[in-house]
Amino acid sequence: MNKKPDTQQVDENFDPWERNNRLPLPVVWVAVALALWGTGTLLTNTGGGEATTALDVAVQQETPLDAASTGARLFAGNCATCHQPNGSGVRLAVPPLHGSEFPAQGPELVAQILLRGIDGPIRVDGHGYDGHMPRFATALSDGEIAQISTYVAATYGGAETKLSADQVSVLRAETADLASWQGGEALAAAFPALPAQPPFATRSLDPVAPEISSLIFDGRSDVWACASCHGDLGQGVENTPRLSGLAAGYIAKQLHEFRDGSRANEHMNFVAAALSDAEITGLAAYYASLHVPSTARPILGGDLTRGEQLALVGDWDLGVPACFSCHGPSGFGVAPNFPPLAAQHAPYTASQLAAWAGGLRTNSPLSLMDQISAALSTEDRVAIADYLASLPAVPTGGAAIASN
Amino acid sequence: MTSDTPKTGISRSLVAVAGGVVLVGLGALALKAGLVPSWISGTEKTEAATVDTTYFQPPGDDMIPDDHNGDAIRRGREIFMNTATNAGEFVGNGLSCSNCHLDAGKEPMSAPMWAAWGQYPKWRGKNKMINTMEDRVMGCFTYSMNAQHSVAGHPPPHGHDIYRDLEAYFLFLATGAPARTKMAGAGFGKVDKPEGGYSLERGKVVFAENCAVCHGADGQGQTDINGRIVFPPLWGPNSFNWGAGMGRINTAAAFIKHNMPLSQPGKLTDQEAWDVAAYIDSHERPKDPRQKPGMSVEDVRATFKANEDSWYGKEIDGVLIGVGTPDPERPVGAPETEG
Repeated sequence: MNKKPDTQQVDENFDPWERNNRLPLPVVWVAVALALWGTGTLLTNTGGGEATTALDVAVQQETPLDAASTGARLFAGNCATCHQPNGSGVRLAVPPLHGSEFPAQGPELVAQILLRGIDGPIRVDGHGYDGHMPRFATALSDGEIAQISTYVAATYGGAETKLSADQVSVLRAETADLASWQGGEALAAAFPALPAQPPFATRSLDPVAPEISSLIFDGRSDVWACASCHGDLGQGVENTPRLSGLAAGYIAKQLHEFRDGSRANEHMNFVAAALSDAEITGLAAYYASLHVPSTARPILGGDLTRGEQLALVGDWDLGVPACFSCHGPSGFGVAPNFPPLAAQHAPYTASQLAAWAGGLRTNSPLSLMDQISAALSTEDRVAIADYLASLPAVPTGGAAIASN
Repeated sequence: MTSDTPKTGISRSLVAVAGGVVLVGLGALALKAGLVPSWISGTEKTEAATVDTTYFQPPGDDMIPDDHNGDAIRRGREIFMNTATNAGEFVGNGLSCSNCHLDAGKEPMSAPMWAAWGQYPKWRGKNKMINTMEDRVMGCFTYSMNAQHSVAGHPPPHGHDIYRDLEAYFLFLATGAPARTKMAGAGFGKVDKPEGGYSLERGKVVFAENCAVCHGADGQGQTDINGRIVFPPLWGPNSFNWGAGMGRINTAAAFIKHNMPLSQPGKLTDQEAWDVAAYIDSHERPKDPRQKPGMSVEDVRATFKANEDSWYGKEIDGVLIGVGTPDPERPVGAPETEG
């Protein structure tokens, strides 16, 4: 019974061991190759990731540079897509600065318009305009607004007064809680030297139905409160999109497609599954009516100059037309199929472009975005996303901010 | 494997490093040859990137000189991009040159200006005379921009600065281009007429499926919240008139085939391009300005469009096509009169 262990049998405490052999050469080769490749990649890729444009440099150095040329460059980057590089505006759509009575009132008026935006009819040089100009308060610093205002008032109004960053700072504090200018009529009341302006017709907004309001702020069993992710005012954050100011038709289409699964997102598929058609319509109308300043910033380190080029001109060699040739000349969107792009959060925009390129999002009309996204490099997608995040939010028809 | 060929420390190190370098080299070659899938390499192939390089490359905007010539080039570019504003007195609709000459007049197969520049003066059947570039652009204002409904009521007169500035821009785009040579990508290209002709019924379906998302189900285009035209109207009072080249089905078919839907050129078959062009050009638009008082549509057809692929002067469901949309109450772009 006290049997000796069989030599054939493996000891249950067997511990494998090996003699101290040298590393096989192929392993060394791979290690050396990886080390070389890694070093090479590191060396060639340093220096990227910093978003500096000529404009940034000019702005950062503010005073040493010629103030007029900085103003001109800021004008080109922020005003020219609508008012045109030569200040001509767009006939029957965007008021001209050239020949306009407004810049002649001086830089303070220009700054007041930049800080608050305009929503309402306006008459310029004998022509009437619908008048939707975004609020630049969040997009531009005090110094930038001072320089643009001084430049515009001098160039198009012949004004000689200058506005300082400190003066803009005071104006900013005074106007922080004020809504957009309600058309030329409100401006004429504040600046009586302006010519007569068309009357502003108050738009009555339908009140938000209590059941929609409750969905947004409190949720309902399987429907999380929209505001819990998208923010109290649909402003969104990071990869959760901004909803305020998107067209109702666009929002409704997305919710329907989340519900039927043709647009895939784990959270939204779950939430939308419990929504009725009427709720979708109500939610879409609510977010479309919101008018909320931008909370987006270019935070991905993208090349803003390249982003601006792709947005305004495109890269036709890649088969990519300008973003704005479909989404509107300032990224304001064209309802209902081409959503506003301005002030959308950069991580969201970049992730959607990547999703289209990779075939993970497939609900674009005519598959337009699939092909365009696939033609862009990762760097291009980040550049566009950051540029769009740097733009002011779209002015919308409704100026009301719904409360809970 | 190494036990029977023992190596000294130094030679072994040399073999190790050399092997590593060889592997790096092989890897680089594989990457260069495109043998590495993109999910490993992280680089994405851009198929279109190589396609356009066979065409003439016009200079970039950064090449515009900083002198009097440059000023004229920039003015010309602004007129080209925003015609209804910067030449507004002579534009009777909302269109811009760049609506049909895509990418600021640089895109091949959308009548790029770098290819057109070296073709003039030349004889044109349209007006049966030698045309200078100025004559040719005057035709664009007359027909495509419908100058008859503009504030001026006519195209810019000969010698107008608008022509000087536009021509300065065209010449700039044609920097280095050969004159009197048919360049690749010139015009809108050509799409042969299908043997079975074309069909309005099929064209209507193609339009609904491919064009309506941008140009609207009613073909009237779309604007942004400020009323700025983003997608141009394809027919009706705010579109090009019956004398424009785009009103010919063959011309429209070639433009559509090679440029539309935007970013997806070549998506439509030749048959679809002809069908949808025929559908678009079957709708009324402003009258042909060559129809002088006393001339009937049939007269204009016989005089100017006898052999054209066009609905002009023909009947669809018993309705004569080409009579034109009603004239506007006041010229397009004229200031509002105070009531």
